[in-house]
Amino acid sequence: MSDEFDDDELGFGPAVSATGVDPEPTPRKAPKKKRPAARAPRGWRRRLASGLMLVTVLAGVAGTYTLFASSSGANDTRTSKEDVEAGRQLFNTSCITCHGANLQGVKDRGPSLIGVGSASVYFQVSTGRMPAAGQSANEPRKSAKFDEQQIDQLGAYIESLGNGPQIPQGDLRVDDSQLAEGGELFRLNCASCHGTTGKGAPLSAGKTAPGLRSATDKQIYAAMLSGPENMPVFGDNQLTPEQKKSILTYVQTLEASKDPGGNGLDRIGPVSEGIVIWVLGIGVLMIVILWIGAKT
Amino acid sequence: MSGGQSNTPTEEELRAMSTEQAMIAGADADDVHVVHRRARFPVPGTKAEKRAERTVAGLFVLAALAGVAFIVAFIVVPYKYKTPSHSQNFRFYTPILGGLLGIMLAALGIGAILWAKWLMPEEELVQERHDEVQPGEPEEQIMTGATLLSGVNDTGLPRRSLLVRTLGLAGGAVATVPLVALVGALLKKPGKILFHTLYRPDSKYPNGIPIVYSDGRRVSPNDIEAGGLATVFPGVPGGVKDASSPTLLIRLRPGQGTLVKARKGQSSWGWEDYLAFSKICTHAGCPASLYEQQTTRLLCPCHQSQFEVLKDAKPVFGPATRSLPKLKLAVEVVDGVQYFVAPQDFQEPIGPGFWERG
Amino acid sequence: MTTTEAPSRRAAKPRTIAGKSALWVDERFRVAGPLRKQLNKVFPDHWSFMMGEIALYSFIILILTGTYLSFFFDASMGDVIYNGSYTPLKGVEMSRAYASTLNISFDVRGGLVIRQIHHWAALMFVAAMLVHMLRIFFTGAFRKPREVNWLIGLTLLVLGVIEGFVGYSLPDDLLSGTGFRIADSIILSIPVIGTWTAFLVFGGPFPGSLIIGRLYIVHVLLIPGILAALIGAHLAIMVRQKHTDFPGPGKTEHTVVGHRLFPKFAAQATGFFFIVFGMLAALGGLAQINPVWLFGPYNPAQVSSGSQPDWYMGLLDGSTRLFPSWEIRLWGHTVPPLFWPTVVLPGILIGLAAAYPFLEARLTKDRARHNLLQRPRDVPVRTSLGAMACTFCAVLFLSGGNDLIAKAFDISLNAMTWGGRIATLVLPPLAYVITYRLCLGLQRHDREVLEHGVETGIIKRLPTGEFIEVHQPLGPVDDHGHGVLSYAGAAVPKRMNRLGKGRLAHLRGFFYPVKEKPEIAEKLAALEEAEHADAEPGTERQVELSD
Repeated sequence: MSDEFDDDELGFGPAVSATGVDPEPTPRKAPKKKRPAARAPRGWRRRLASGLMLVTVLAGVAGTYTLFASSSGANDTRTSKEDVEAGRQLFNTSCITCHGANLQGVKDRGPSLIGVGSASVYFQVSTGRMPAAGQSANEPRKSAKFDEQQIDQLGAYIESLGNGPQIPQGDLRVDDSQLAEGGELFRLNCASCHGTTGKGAPLSAGKTAPGLRSATDKQIYAAMLSGPENMPVFGDNQLTPEQKKSILTYVQTLEASKDPGGNGLDRIGPVSEGIVIWVLGIGVLMIVILWIGAKT
Repeated sequence: MSGGQSNTPTEEELRAMSTEQAMIAGADADDVHVVHRRARFPVPGTKAEKRAERTVAGLFVLAALAGVAFIVAFIVVPYKYKTPSHSQNFRFYTPILGGLLGIMLAALGIGAILWAKWLMPEEELVQERHDEVQPGEPEEQIMTGATLLSGVNDTGLPRRSLLVRTLGLAGGAVATVPLVALVGALLKKPGKILFHTLYRPDSKYPNGIPIVYSDGRRVSPNDIEAGGLATVFPGVPGGVKDASSPTLLIRLRPGQGTLVKARKGQSSWGWEDYLAFSKICTHAGCPASLYEQQTTRLLCPCHQSQFEVLKDAKPVFGPATRSLPKLKLAVEVVDGVQYFVAPQDFQEPIGPGFWERG
Repeated sequence: MTTTEAPSRRAAKPRTIAGKSALWVDERFRVAGPLRKQLNKVFPDHWSFMMGEIALYSFIILILTGTYLSFFFDASMGDVIYNGSYTPLKGVEMSRAYASTLNISFDVRGGLVIRQIHHWAALMFVAAMLVHMLRIFFTGAFRKPREVNWLIGLTLLVLGVIEGFVGYSLPDDLLSGTGFRIADSIILSIPVIGTWTAFLVFGGPFPGSLIIGRLYIVHVLLIPGILAALIGAHLAIMVRQKHTDFPGPGKTEHTVVGHRLFPKFAAQATGFFFIVFGMLAALGGLAQINPVWLFGPYNPAQVSSGSQPDWYMGLLDGSTRLFPSWEIRLWGHTVPPLFWPTVVLPGILIGLAAAYPFLEARLTKDRARHNLLQRPRDVPVRTSLGAMACTFCAVLFLSGGNDLIAKAFDISLNAMTWGGRIATLVLPPLAYVITYRLCLGLQRHDREVLEHGVETGIIKRLPTGEFIEVHQPLGPVDDHGHGVLSYAGAAVPKRMNRLGKGRLAHLRGFFYPVKEKPEIAEKLAALEEAEHADAEPGTERQVELSD
């Protein structure tokens, strides 16, 4: 009730309102500076002190928060409104034609994206599958059109309109003691399509389960979580996040491990070995035979 | 006598001959005639000969050096596997060993062949085959034939039919008995084993056999997302390892449930959006678990049989002829949480076909 | 003859160690005559006769490396928790067979290279037998009197394939275990006795706990024993009947021309053995094969995409993938579709192969003994039938890997299956027709060269202005300038460089010619003159033809 703590005087009105409409007409802001001077000068020192204390406290809190906030480069999916807005801009440029203005999908062009989650967005966009070049049995991996930040913005936008699964923050690897469990789960759930050596395989009628060589940790996690295209969805109750991490650690360990037996022949299996024995083995020996049998 | 010619030199003549002449005499005695024989380097001291000899010698030295290097590498080079966060140097061990072994053996082999090609005399010989009837052979045939015949006559078998028959009986027994003993010990009656899995109803589980993941956790309907697939097993002892029991639990996407065209009498076997099928392909027994969640096709990687899940896993492509058997699903509530159970076994034999399948 | 030696070596009592040892042996076993007979054996030296040797040497290498492996392998299906060096499998429960294979690969010094040599040698063994068999077939070496050897060889091939299948299934990994599952299904598919046979082999329903142990004995004792005995018989028959040979100068049905066993053939054979061994050792070290640690231990609920058996089983894999879904269900009994491509088809193929020598003898009414080979072009029907069979098998082999081909070339899997089905029916007859025409064409060319001579490539202009190509006749010519030599079954030289004679002083040296010292060069020239004087006159006259 006292004059001193008038909200407007201290400028406590919000800078930007939730609805985007400026709550105070602009002229109101200008007298803010003048008013303390127009009023009796007896309160200005206290207000200045209060203002300074406020600024100090705010700066201190902000600084402390910044110190303790995770700066691992992981993008905070609790993103700001700017991210969502930027994501909307990107969506409207590149995705709206097939997925619709409200993510509801367009018949015969693109599915609905409501509730797919930022994990799905991350997978599709970072592997370059989306934006799709055209309709096909399945979208192949190609170079990504958007960079990491833009992908997060798109993800934020999609999340804001429907939530959905998200990739956890931080390092997705587990340590070596859990490799074996990851391997067992991989062989049970993944190897039938992707192969025990991660080479991928054809599916029916022209579709493929891709090889895993170029996949990053986040992409593998996102794929398991979101079940892109024809891949089954592995929810967190079926494969817990810890299990998912052990699977992707196993896959990446396999990819990064060198073959102890020499050239891995692309880890394809008996077919490449058969080709080698015929072309190199019998082929070279036939040349040797011709040499031995040749008359000098 | 093995020689075709009858004028083999006498012992004194042979002792008087040179080595070469005696060798040729021996060849003649074996019906091998020298057509052409010439030393590679008839003029001694040519550079070409020295060069040839040095090449062969060099190859042998290379083989020896490779052998020594192999022994050193075998002991010294690190070979234990390390995860990628460590040095991957172990990958050189096997290639080094194989490469050096290959060099050693190949150098020895090439050296031996070059020795034969470059340094040994070139020769061309002709040998009689003597594979037509030789003089003396018809006589041999007659005498041998007579010997065999006489021996048989001595046994008296042609006249003693009683002996022949009883010998046949005994011989048959001797031949059959070990076979029976071995095969009989190995035999196991298939009986009805192929007609059941470990989902067979058990009084210990009145609501049905609990369905579990590979780690033994019970499966709850909330676990699996729409469009998800899990491999599940009967939660009885040995259920996770049993070869006939792996099961596919599929949760259809929203909207797909209404499209299901179940087999006769099996339309109530699913539970809400869930369907369960035997994972063992009905063609040759591989797990058929390549699931395409949008097209609801199930592909078996071994021989490319494809099953349409919305038609109760009916085979639509490839060599398979029977649908994957469907498992009836039910749910029991334990401590407020829903869990899947199997109230009955598969109602037909799972896996590949066999004669008695019906 | 070139060398002479002092006759003093023919003393009554041997004085060298070699001589004394030889006498010691001969006093006990009396082998001097038979030994010399074997040492003097003549072996024809065409290059295509060495392919069987590859198989023989591979077998020896398999025995050697296999013995090494048997010291470390544990053929038990009992469960054990892995605790070796391969971290991604540490703590996983697996059979002892698999664990001991991992042990060989990661914890035995040099174990992996020996294991890989063993597996490469197995692939080479079957491949070499197949190549050798094709040579025998296309040259008609299976005709009387060698039909029995053909049957023995066919048995060796079949046993070799089974041995290989059993061998790579011993480690009990996911890839070979899947193959075992399919083998069980194949046995189950046999009518009437299928289930009983499957239960007999596995000791119950699949997989049981006995199969690895049983197959171990089959793999290290039974089949190698039979193989060794049959290889011995195969070689003994060949030694007794002597090797066949192509027609050529001095070569008739009753003679063998070549070089002797000792020392030349023995040196070459030994050298070739080491080269084959060296090649397999290099492959065993440089090319990884069967990395079972990547596949994981066998688990009946797991499978990998892109699962194929070793190459020689690819024929059956392909036939199984292509065979349509035709099942016979009658009166409560089933004949599953797996029966025809995996049991009936190989039975037919093996049966046809076994019966072929007798079928051909009956159809051609040929009951004579043959020691001379036939060039494939001279028997177009047999060659075309062989090409047809090879094409059929090749389509099936490729179809065994049709999922890999589909992925590599972005072809639909369904299209690959249909393509394979059509190719199996269409390509073999096509191959027959094409091969037949090729054979006839080659035959005609042979006779044309015999008649008109070898094209030298020299163009001459006659005084009348016309251009002619100079041809080199291969023998005497008649009044019209046409050769009178008839085709005798031997290869006809078709290029000028096949007509040359070896010279003593021919160019030696790899980078630059070797220049001999003047005195030596003179002696060589003198020797060559002497040899030329012996040669028949008139064989190198050039005759111009107005072609």
